[in-house]
Amino acid sequence: MDDLTPQPKDTQLLGDLTNAERDMLHDVGFEDEATRAGTSILADHEMRVALSNDPGVEILPLNVALKTYDFVQSLMFGLVDPEENEHIRLVAEHMHDPLGHFIWVKPGAKVKLPVQSFSLLETPQGRQFTHDITLIDEGAEVEMVSGSAVPGNVQKGRHISIGESYMRKGARCTSVTVEHWGPEMEVYSYGYSQLDEGASSTSTAIMMSPIRHHTSRSVSTLAAGAKSASQAIVFAPEGTERVLATETRLAAAGATSQDIARMVSAGGTIVNDAVLIGDAVRTNGFLGCDGLKLRDAGEIRAVPQLRARAEGTQLSHEASVGMIDGEKLNYLMASGMDEDAARDLIVQGFLELDKGHVPADLTARIEEIVAKAKSGGM
Amino acid sequence: MLEISELCVDVAGKPVLSDISLTLQPGELHVLLGPNGSGKSSLLAAIMGLPPYRVTGGSIRVDGVPVNDLSLRERAALGIGMAFQRPPSLDGVTVSAFAGAMGAGATLAREAAALDLSAFVARDMNVGFSGGEIKRWEILKLFLQDPRLMLFDEPESGVDLEHVIAIGQAIGRITRTPDGQGRPRAGLVITHTGLILNHVEADRAHILKGGRIIHSGDPRAIFAHIQTHGYTVPETA
Repeated sequence: MDDLTPQPKDTQLLGDLTNAERDMLHDVGFEDEATRAGTSILADHEMRVALSNDPGVEILPLNVALKTYDFVQSLMFGLVDPEENEHIRLVAEHMHDPLGHFIWVKPGAKVKLPVQSFSLLETPQGRQFTHDITLIDEGAEVEMVSGSAVPGNVQKGRHISIGESYMRKGARCTSVTVEHWGPEMEVYSYGYSQLDEGASSTSTAIMMSPIRHHTSRSVSTLAAGAKSASQAIVFAPEGTERVLATETRLAAAGATSQDIARMVSAGGTIVNDAVLIGDAVRTNGFLGCDGLKLRDAGEIRAVPQLRARAEGTQLSHEASVGMIDGEKLNYLMASGMDEDAARDLIVQGFLELDKGHVPADLTARIEEIVAKAKSGGM
Repeated sequence: MLEISELCVDVAGKPVLSDISLTLQPGELHVLLGPNGSGKSSLLAAIMGLPPYRVTGGSIRVDGVPVNDLSLRERAALGIGMAFQRPPSLDGVTVSAFAGAMGAGATLAREAAALDLSAFVARDMNVGFSGGEIKRWEILKLFLQDPRLMLFDEPESGVDLEHVIAIGQAIGRITRTPDGQGRPRAGLVITHTGLILNHVEADRAHILKGGRIIHSGDPRAIFAHIQTHGYTVPETA
């Protein structure tokens, strides 16, 4: 693949976004296309925008990419079996006209501005099945912002997505995902990533809006010396069920990972089923799952699993689930705060992002989004 | 400002304070000395209304208002504030976010500089703070709250000598400065080492032992006596 000469297909604007769509997307991190290295927008059943402003980045609708580059065929379903489960089978059956993007960060590209990609579901009771492929090629470096949004009138609908991400040798990526689906929607997202030798991924997921059910499964395989650090902040109000299933496989010597999940239930249910597998010597991994329950209703279930399969792998986890610490509440109330204000401050602090994981240029914008989500604005 | 009369306190049915009587006038700073386990922190917690301390007899009044039946929040609203000895860590809650929630952003900027804590405003409250940093932060927190009656729980424990001076000066400054409404404040400092007495101008001291106040008098005389005779009643008393 490295011998492929980059093609001048770096600018494709398939359609335009309305102001309402821009506003909707802005709430999950979208910025004007001119300020981004590349933009991919999928709206209902069409790729509305596939645009690059950087010669090091190519963005194409997946159906176009498959016809343009032979190698994309081998990337598609390269990390996941199309028969893995009923949802993936359902998406695979729609592959006569695949819907999704192909983002390619070219070998050695040091992309200065972030690349952004978003999904919009604008039709009430809409059904959306998508497949995205991202290739960050050898030695490339990029920051990515992604997310999902629906207009206020979309309550119900179904979205199933497959994402396959390939990070080639020495590639680096820092990414943020902000999710905002409809409150009665069902969403199943399956993300698979492969980090080749020396690749490094730092990711942040913000899942704070109400949703009837969301299963988010992610599987990562790390080659020699690859590094992965992820953080997720998850909120479940009453009526929301979120299932996070992550599997991180440290497949070769020197691979390291750190996965942190901070979960707050305000009457909803959150399940965090995290598996960390040490398959090789000199691998090191950590799982951190902290849950805070604000009401008697709802449930937080944290199931961290460590599987050491090679001598010399170091795996550890920390998990805690509980109500707000009375000592902390009393401490704040002794300063004159009422109980609600003290609770809010503690919960906001609990859900605070590790800013070291967020792309530096995006920190202020992400803080603004998270603050809005915390205040119930989403 | 503070009138404690024949106060008895227990924890889970076990008496920890008996027959405590103590009066602080506006503008006064008192020091309560006693060995570990004598009940000093229990007294402050009972005044503040912290669980699990339960008043079983006697009364506590602040500005003439009985506080026995008031909640923690109501006592704070009445003007009672406390510098904790071992405050909890609040991950993710920055000093500036706390000040913002208290509506005291301007006070934070001013007083953080005075307490050499300007670099702390972006840090999470009490997370990774050294012993001295915690004590200075707890006094800064009182500046943000602006209480009339201040309770200082072992403000010099775990603090290096250089910062004991700064803490003593800060306690003196906040005690002698009127509150936001121009009213005089008062303070009660508890200590088992007495070192803070070298750096604050206390008006009166008390020795607490076995849950009872066994002696009250001039702070320097009492501190000098304790240094040579321990926590006993001076023969001249």
